[in-house]
Amino acid sequence: MAKTKSGRNAIAMKHQSPKPNLFATKSPRQSRSDDQNNTKETTTKKKKKSKLGPKAMAMKVQPPKPNPFETIWSRRKFDVLGKKRKGEERRVGLARSQAIEKRKKTLLKEYEQSGKSSVFVDKRIGEQNDELDEFDKAIRRTQRERLLKQNRKSKYNLSDGEEDDFEFQSLGALSQRDDFEDDMLPDDEEEDGVETAKKSYHKQNLLDQDLIEGNENKHKSDKERYAEMILKSKYHKAEKSKEKDENKDLMEELDKKFTSVIASKALTNKSISTEYMKKHEEKSDSYDKLERELAMERRAQPSNRTKTPEEIAQEEREQLERLEEERQKRMLPTDDHSDDDSEDAEKPSSLRPRSISGDDLGDSFSLEEEPRTKKGWVDKILQRKDASDSESEGDDCDSSEDSESPDDDGDEKSDEDNSEGERDLLNKDWEQSDDDNLDIDLDEKDEEDDSEENDMDDNAYEKEMEPRELEKLKKKKPVQASKIDGKSLDAKKMPANKQFSTQSDLPYLIEAPKSIEELEALLDNLCNSDIALIIHRIRASNAIKLAAENKKKMQVFYGLLLQYFATLANKKPLNLELLNLLVKPLMEMSMETPYFAAVCARERILRTRTKFCETVKNPENSCWPASKTLFLLRLWSLIFPCSDFRHVVMTPAIFLMCEYLMRCPILSGRDVAVGSFLCSILLSITKQSRKFCPEAVSFLQILLMAAIERNPKSNKDSEIDHLMEIKAPEPLLYIHEHIDQIDPLNFLTIMDLPEDSSFFTSNKFRSSVLVTVIETLRGYVSSYEGFSSFPEIFLPISTLVLELAEQENMPSALTDKFKEVAQFIKTKAEEHCMQRRPLQMRKQKPVALKMLNPSFEEKFVKGRDYDPDRERVERKKLKKLLTQETKGAVRELRKDNYFLHEVKARDKALMEEERAEKYGNMRLFLQEQEHAMKSGQLGKGRKRRR
Amino acid sequence: MVRPYAVKGKKRKTREEKYDRDEEAGEHKKLGKPNPKSGPGVIFILEKASLEIGKVGKTEQLLNSDEHANFLRKKGKNPAHYRPDILHQALLMVLDSPINKAGRLRCVYVKTEDGKLIEIKPYVRIPRTFKRFSGVMLQLLQKLSISAVGKREKLMRMIKNPVTQYLPVNSRKVGLSYSSEKLVSIRNYVAAAENNTDLVFVVGAMAHGKVETDYTDDFVSICSYPLSAAYCITMICQALAGKWNIL
Repeated sequence: MAKTKSGRNAIAMKHQSPKPNLFATKSPRQSRSDDQNNTKETTTKKKKKSKLGPKAMAMKVQPPKPNPFETIWSRRKFDVLGKKRKGEERRVGLARSQAIEKRKKTLLKEYEQSGKSSVFVDKRIGEQNDELDEFDKAIRRTQRERLLKQNRKSKYNLSDGEEDDFEFQSLGALSQRDDFEDDMLPDDEEEDGVETAKKSYHKQNLLDQDLIEGNENKHKSDKERYAEMILKSKYHKAEKSKEKDENKDLMEELDKKFTSVIASKALTNKSISTEYMKKHEEKSDSYDKLERELAMERRAQPSNRTKTPEEIAQEEREQLERLEEERQKRMLPTDDHSDDDSEDAEKPSSLRPRSISGDDLGDSFSLEEEPRTKKGWVDKILQRKDASDSESEGDDCDSSEDSESPDDDGDEKSDEDNSEGERDLLNKDWEQSDDDNLDIDLDEKDEEDDSEENDMDDNAYEKEMEPRELEKLKKKKPVQASKIDGKSLDAKKMPANKQFSTQSDLPYLIEAPKSIEELEALLDNLCNSDIALIIHRIRASNAIKLAAENKKKMQVFYGLLLQYFATLANKKPLNLELLNLLVKPLMEMSMETPYFAAVCARERILRTRTKFCETVKNPENSCWPASKTLFLLRLWSLIFPCSDFRHVVMTPAIFLMCEYLMRCPILSGRDVAVGSFLCSILLSITKQSRKFCPEAVSFLQILLMAAIERNPKSNKDSEIDHLMEIKAPEPLLYIHEHIDQIDPLNFLTIMDLPEDSSFFTSNKFRSSVLVTVIETLRGYVSSYEGFSSFPEIFLPISTLVLELAEQENMPSALTDKFKEVAQFIKTKAEEHCMQRRPLQMRKQKPVALKMLNPSFEEKFVKGRDYDPDRERVERKKLKKLLTQETKGAVRELRKDNYFLHEVKARDKALMEEERAEKYGNMRLFLQEQEHAMKSGQLGKGRKRRR
Repeated sequence: MVRPYAVKGKKRKTREEKYDRDEEAGEHKKLGKPNPKSGPGVIFILEKASLEIGKVGKTEQLLNSDEHANFLRKKGKNPAHYRPDILHQALLMVLDSPINKAGRLRCVYVKTEDGKLIEIKPYVRIPRTFKRFSGVMLQLLQKLSISAVGKREKLMRMIKNPVTQYLPVNSRKVGLSYSSEKLVSIRNYVAAAENNTDLVFVVGAMAHGKVETDYTDDFVSICSYPLSAAYCITMICQALAGKWNIL
């Protein structure tokens, strides 16, 4: 079928040249079978080919061969599985030929036009638009005509009836002017406007509908649309105003109802007078007021539920655990403790060297942010001290000047110790000066207005202080603590009992005393329990929490109480019970004002030290601390945390004690007792934190040496040990005779005894001192057993102890103890020696290749710029776009040029050909003429004719 | 633009780097670069590694058999062939070996299944987790190079084939395959190798099949059982460490 058809077609084509119409009608059918890309060119080619003869029959069977270049598809460089790309269906060759086609249509046309001076432009109305049919074109033309007529100039021209008729005839329902002009509305009349607008809107709607029905495809003009919009808005306005009126009516009704409700007094118990009801505005006011009241009424606040006892216990336990943890932290040295470069402590954790295992994730994972060691309040205080040091220095100088004369007195005093009154006076003097100084400090503080800060510090300290203190009392010094507790309990109970019976004459509200005289006057001639009661009442009536100014008062009172405590401690018949009673309020008060307590303690320590430095210059004096100092040291060791690595009060206190032990010459039995007491205090302080006090250990060693019988043959009075000279003192503790019973020593009684008492030389005293010494030594040994230098510290002592154990007159209980301690030291030392390894060269480890981490994005998306600088990214993007566009433009231009060049070359070639042909023809003609002339003929024909 | 006189101190170009100075002073070798004096080195070529990107859902991912099994099946591929984890393990073994730490590893080349060639510097710290590794490889395949953190130095990059143009001239190229007839003890084999030539080991990093290369001088099998790529590399590294006395 197809064959015959096409054959016929081909035949038709063969003979078509005189009547092209035939071909034109048939061509669509043929093109359907052709490829889409079938261009005119190919058809023309076919035409030519078909002329070639019988071959064309076969050619017609197949569709024309497409351009082989057009079949090439764009190649992908990196194939990604499952990815669909936009430009996938791109055929490079096809695009190329299409571009050439396009150029032929545009550029070639332009080029052809370029040589011409005028252009024929078809500007007939609607001729360009193929979609319009003849009728529409006519309509457009008439519209155009009318528009031209409506110009400003022609506005005032009288219209001919003829034209109008024509208009209506031609346009009919299409007329636009009528719609607009008929429905022009008066805008200013509001009241009527509503109704009329509504009406007209409906009318318009109807009209519109008619219009739409009439010619749906005709779209409205601007005027029409505006009119519609205005009508709509008016309609809506009318609706709105109607609604408003209705609302108003409703409101009025409600108001009336409300007045009736108020009249019935259902809402309020306040009587509302009838006047209000009459006056409309005021009535509404009352409503507002009521409403506001109801709204502002306070709601019930939710509160935490009451906790069960288990929960409370749990919380307490947690609190205690937390505090213990904090204490442990403070016990350890932080990175750097010199005040000057405290920045080192704040070094970021990342800078610290950190070993990395091979399997470490390395790169960006850093979950463990090392919690930075917080600065303790100690450091804060230290910092503040540094700041205030410079200011207070001047005052220090003054006060030292003040205290100089008393110090001189003190020198004399040490000689004539019995003059008690003078001593008291002296004490009072420098205490007073101390207090003055403190007062000045206080004033300064007020001036600086940093009491708030102080408060905060205090509170924080208070919180952490309280439980720790309790703990310490329970753990560390069970004996003493229980004693104190017991006493304080007694003290509490006793006044409670007595309060109503005998001592009812004590005032309940007592103003805090401002000077030591006042205090002494207050406490004079009272029994211990009364004093405790008075102090309690003073504290209760001036509690810091009650008033802000009480803080200052209490601080003064604290200073006074401390001074009172010191004076009491120095009194010869020692009032131990009262002292114990005083400990509790002092401790509590220092918890309330820890900063002030620390300042007081430091000041006192400073003073004691300067005094001690003065006295120690004279080697004949016994410069061992007085009982006051001892008691204060003990008190501070109870008040302040001893286990801290560094503490504003305890560190200097420890230093002071160590200095006493090192520098004071041991001259009498009393010195021995005081020294061993200091050693035991030091032990109790350093036990928990395991701080090493070489002074205490060497002092104990000296005491032990003093117990050895001095042999004339062993002439090593002094030996160099641990770079310190240890000088064997007089054999103060040598036991001459055998003793069968050893009494525990009462330190207080010893302190009360005069220095030259015969008790100090008795064997009883010596043996009991030795017992305390060996016990203290045992404590040191057990607390220092972890030190790697343990054998070096204690082995010389152990030989000494063994030597002592073998002495003749030593009581058996003592020998046992000596042997025990020596054995203990020996085993521990051996353990340490076992653990020691021989010295060896440090191994040089080979340095591994430094590895570098690859940088990559967690979720990489191709083409996205991961530069953090957004601006730069934008710039880069724009630049890229620009270069892309430029390149594209350049490419296009180049192609254009190439195309034009081709066209020109073709033209040129054509012209050349033409010229050559012409030239050849001419030449031929001339040659012929020449030939004719030479041969004597005028032409071929003539010759033949001839 | 002219830089204002002495505004910011030294120019950045001429400014010395502050960090790592002590190391540089202490060690004669430059940071990251293997020590040239240390003697012959070793090069590993991991053949037929499966590193292929697929667009799964909206994101492009490195295809592996665990996560994309369904996707691969849908596309008519065998999931068992997509095993980038083998390459990961093998690279970890190479780059963690003591011979690398001692600077004797010259380079590692990875040839993928579809013929891309990747050069990996010996001082790269390959991510330890597979997820991060696939992140790096994805970026490498798309950006064609991976640089070090905070530096411009390229740690991994795609290079042109063939791999032979990058191998040292007189190197001995040894292919490893279970299928080889020549079963040798790697320790003796390595010990017998010349002392001054570089060694090139060609190991397959694929799940199935064998390496087919035309540039290898020798083709040996080092165990009578089929070995994983990682373990095979470990054996070679240990043998080399024994030979070069690296502990």
